[in-house]
Amino acid sequence: MKRVETTERPQWRDYAESVGFHFHTFDGEPYWDETAYYQFTLQQIEEDLEEPTETLHEMAMDLVSEIVRDAEKLHQLAIPEMFWNHIYNSWTNGDPHLYGRMDLVYNGTGPAKLLELNYDTPTSLFETGFFQWVWLEEKIRRGELPEAADQFNSLQDKLEEAFSTLSLPQPFYFSSVSGHIEDKGTVDYLLDIARQAGMDARYIAIEDIGEQDGQFVDLDGYPITGLFKLYPWEFMVQEAFGKAVRTSNTLWLEPSWKMLLSNKGILPLLWQKYPEHPNLLPAFFEDSSEPLRNGWVRKPLFSREGANVELITESGEKVQAAGPYDDGRYIRQALCPLPKFRDAYRNADCYTMIGSWVVGDSAAGIAIREDNTLITKDSSRFLPHIILD
Amino acid sequence: MKRSKKVALMLMVPTTTMMLASCGEDPAEAVVFSSPEECASMVTQVAAEQCYADFKAAQVLHPQVAPKYVNKSECENDFGAGQCEPAPQQHASGSFFMPLMMGYMAGQMFNRQGGAAPAQQPQQQERPVGTSGAVAGTAANPRNGVRAQPLYKSRDDRGTFRTANNTPVARQTGPVMVRPSQVQPRAGQFAQRGGFGAQAAARNSYGG
Repeated sequence: MKRVETTERPQWRDYAESVGFHFHTFDGEPYWDETAYYQFTLQQIEEDLEEPTETLHEMAMDLVSEIVRDAEKLHQLAIPEMFWNHIYNSWTNGDPHLYGRMDLVYNGTGPAKLLELNYDTPTSLFETGFFQWVWLEEKIRRGELPEAADQFNSLQDKLEEAFSTLSLPQPFYFSSVSGHIEDKGTVDYLLDIARQAGMDARYIAIEDIGEQDGQFVDLDGYPITGLFKLYPWEFMVQEAFGKAVRTSNTLWLEPSWKMLLSNKGILPLLWQKYPEHPNLLPAFFEDSSEPLRNGWVRKPLFSREGANVELITESGEKVQAAGPYDDGRYIRQALCPLPKFRDAYRNADCYTMIGSWVVGDSAAGIAIREDNTLITKDSSRFLPHIILD
Repeated sequence: MKRSKKVALMLMVPTTTMMLASCGEDPAEAVVFSSPEECASMVTQVAAEQCYADFKAAQVLHPQVAPKYVNKSECENDFGAGQCEPAPQQHASGSFFMPLMMGYMAGQMFNRQGGAAPAQQPQQQERPVGTSGAVAGTAANPRNGVRAQPLYKSRDDRGTFRTANNTPVARQTGPVMVRPSQVQPRAGQFAQRGGFGAQAAARNSYGG
């Protein structure tokens, strides 16, 4: 695994805009960054990332079937009791799941370590599945990368296959928060792939969803039989329509049992079930106000994009990210610092995290994020990667 | 190879062809009947089953789309004495009232192509219905864009069949020409909205 500086494709910004990737630059700061790429060997990809991703996924899925039957664990995960039944049914009925992303620490050697599961509302999908794929094709065509260069990225193929085989109800709706261009970009991409797979796929803003007699309805008042929602389950169950989730016939993507996995509490539960597993970090539910020790991280049960994460390095340096998730419980996880690379273009150090995608139950590619700090956030840059031996 | 064989975008890339579908709208043929028996008496055995399926679909839609009134007298004021019934929806002090269904309309049924909507029609045009049960499969699929739906007659114009949105469609039973978008039933009157999304406003971070 190495970081290689490279030249940007001329006009890539125009191209990005033309395919709806409007958030390539955010608040004047680069989000998509092709001044460098990461290079892996095929062995690193297959043995250190692909295989462990599927192993970790299986471990997590095994744990779900235990948690849905275990009141103590459901309490530990702060799942509202009125939804236990829905979650249990959604799991035992085998409600389908589409995708997830797990965040890993990996520096090119040794086992990758699981930081967390983003199994409910993962984003950076379009950047991974489409934009970095096109980047590689163009770099090869321009002669800037060898023909033999490949990429761990079967995301779009696997998503299209999933939409063709899941037999989802139709019309099937895709939903996100209105006015949020990044989320809309992710949902547009999924909707596009679903249409290519032959589905009757439509968009509705999450705020426009209606509720009538315990059923969710579209803007014309027709029942929404299937809904992909890029909106966290833990918010939905607290909001005005939460109750109707229990009476509605809507098939949800992701299903409600994903609430258990997108929860940081899954990390201590995984550690309890698989202690000393090479791809796991020690993790515990926070049960006291004992001060955070060196070499530990503190994360809220529900938090996204690094928000409200706080850590202390082995040498005692404190790093934290502000955020809106300061109203719940926390877990503590042993710190495994992200590997540090040198960004010569910016003349600065950067810390690199690997997001590893799962579609259905298969590993489907990786997304690389770089930040100037040890905590990866929504503002962290996205860099492409290649496989080349 | 560890990457997708191809990546393509269908909708995210702007094209001129996508825009054509919504320009102009051809009138479509539909049929109006006062009862399924009347319909069945006019068609072959096979099509007769369609009569009952269409009627049933219209009946299912009736309580969803019919205009609602807070009390019976207001309803009868518009639809005539004895022409109103309680609606299933409740308000604080009792039931809503709605006019009786006086007939129904369905897409033209004599060319038996049925509800096969063109597979890749870009914009809606046709609207497969999400209602549950037997109706969803057959009758509820709109033929040539006209969905099976209930019809009403107002007090001051007893001769005219009207849709739930008060669009006049026929003065007698039988075939009619309609613009599908004008006779698209809308069932949203009683839906509450805005019950999801509150925390998105309170926090500004939710993807991941």
